[in-house]
Amino acid sequence: MTRLIASELFKLRKRLMSRVLLYVLIGIIIVLYFLLLAVSKVTIPGHGAGEIGDIQNLLGLPVAIPFALYITSTFGAVLAVILVASCIGSEYNWRTIRTMLICSESRFKLLGAKLISAGIFILIGMIIAVIAGFLMSLLTTAIGGYAFDFGFMDGEYVWNQFAQFWRTFFVLIPYSLIGFLLAIMGRSAMPGIGLGIGIIFLEGIITAFMRLASGWVAKVPDYLLAANVQAINSLSDLPRGFEEMGRSDVTFQLPGTTHAFVTLAIYCLAFLAIAFYLFRRRDVTG
Amino acid sequence: MTTPANAEISAESGQDKDVILRTTGLTKRFGKLEAVKNLDLEIYRGEVFGFLGPNGAGKSTTVGMILGLVTPTSGSLELFGQNLDKHQWSVLRRVGAIIEEPAFYPYLSGRSNLEALARAIGNIPAAKIPEVLERVNLADRANDRYSHYSMGMKQRLGIASTLLRDPELIILDEPTSGLDPAGTKEVRDLIPQLAQEHRAVFLCSHLLHEVELVCDRVAIIKEGVMIANAPVRELLTKGQLLRIKVDNPGEATSILEKIPWVNSIKIEDEYVIVDVPRESASDVNKTLAEQGIYASELVSSHVSLESVFLELTGGESGD
Repeated sequence: MTRLIASELFKLRKRLMSRVLLYVLIGIIIVLYFLLLAVSKVTIPGHGAGEIGDIQNLLGLPVAIPFALYITSTFGAVLAVILVASCIGSEYNWRTIRTMLICSESRFKLLGAKLISAGIFILIGMIIAVIAGFLMSLLTTAIGGYAFDFGFMDGEYVWNQFAQFWRTFFVLIPYSLIGFLLAIMGRSAMPGIGLGIGIIFLEGIITAFMRLASGWVAKVPDYLLAANVQAINSLSDLPRGFEEMGRSDVTFQLPGTTHAFVTLAIYCLAFLAIAFYLFRRRDVTG
Repeated sequence: MTTPANAEISAESGQDKDVILRTTGLTKRFGKLEAVKNLDLEIYRGEVFGFLGPNGAGKSTTVGMILGLVTPTSGSLELFGQNLDKHQWSVLRRVGAIIEEPAFYPYLSGRSNLEALARAIGNIPAAKIPEVLERVNLADRANDRYSHYSMGMKQRLGIASTLLRDPELIILDEPTSGLDPAGTKEVRDLIPQLAQEHRAVFLCSHLLHEVELVCDRVAIIKEGVMIANAPVRELLTKGQLLRIKVDNPGEATSILEKIPWVNSIKIEDEYVIVDVPRESASDVNKTLAEQGIYASELVSSHVSLESVFLELTGGESGD
């Protein structure tokens, strides 16, 4: 297994796409920071000093890490789907799946190695995103003329950010696994990427409609991905109002944290089980 | 499986030989389609074995089953005396293969592609990569991207990848496809060399001339059924082709068609081409003369593997 992971990491490291995805994530962070800086400097009619203050808070150093992690859990999910789906789907597109299978101890280990190496790349991307967010926060704080104060960096803060880092990684897994599974089902990267990203966006719209209904239909979103991901994201230290970003309707109650973790874990296990079953069982022809 | 039609064309006894691959009753069904039916094969160390068949005959499915890519519906498959099902990696580690066409990562160089495979296989010394690149004459272009390679270079990289793990069984599917004449000759010379290095080479090719030149033994498969399995020498000494020039080829054909030992007969230009057993040219000539047809020209030539193949497969192309 270690050999296969080394091989997969080698291929990912050499692949331009891996770097492009990372540049996109860093680019999004840079653009968002500059946008927020610009917004914090203008007076918006009808909006009070409190809201501008919230944006200034968001640019501040204490919020840099949770904000970078929040961006990772939202935009990063799309990038993670692309990375994970293409890591298996491209093998079918290039027909290298046969070459790799002949060089692999087992199909189970090959698939496991692919997931582990993609996971390692996602973690590296998250670390770089956090560093980029922190550097951007320093820059915008300097440009904005706000005070540099590192007094927030105590043990509790570090622990909270560490926990949020792993929570963010956790919420990326189900979406990545959907992409992975669909790429295996479709024997190509495109179904994984296309449908995986489609699910990220469409689920929010569909669940918003479901929330409008009454009875059990309104409860269904609690057992889908988006609501549970939001429940976990809401544990971050974002300023007032920002943990609700992306929620089309903030009036509904998010599922509890334990419920969210358990539901997402069940999804992950189900996606994994189907992916491994299909990959192990199917003949590789053509 | 030996069919009645080819009962006389059967494999030599392999009792004293080191069997590298043995399939027994190997069968694969895709839904209602039986792609491979009861295939019994034995491949010995040190030989080049040709595996021939028309399009859709079941060659790739058979290779897929040997490599663990396709699960057999029934039958057994042993490599190096071990069951493939139970010892997949320990036996497949000793097999190198190119299936259909070489497939590598387009964004990696030839060298990096081999490096990625070497990492996956494990325990391959770093010096092995330049060594195999040198062997297939790709050392100069090893750092170029695979996507920039010509078809011939891709084929050579494919062969290099099979040599990476020092395999005891090498499976080559159309290894000279896309190669220029010089490259084809290089590969053709390389294949017997590989077999002499105490390996077995399993060669799928539609270039029957190539197979005739390099293979010790061939099996021919049609619609999933093996219809011949014999040393090339034996197949080629079964008969001879007679090229007969007569005034009335149509009449000559109708006379010769009635002879039971004439295998096949056709008219090419003004010649009648007859496939008959060896040393029967005089009998053919005599039969025609008795009917008042005198040959102005009668040239004998050996049967080629191509003519054997076409006869056995009913004239289907061997892609």
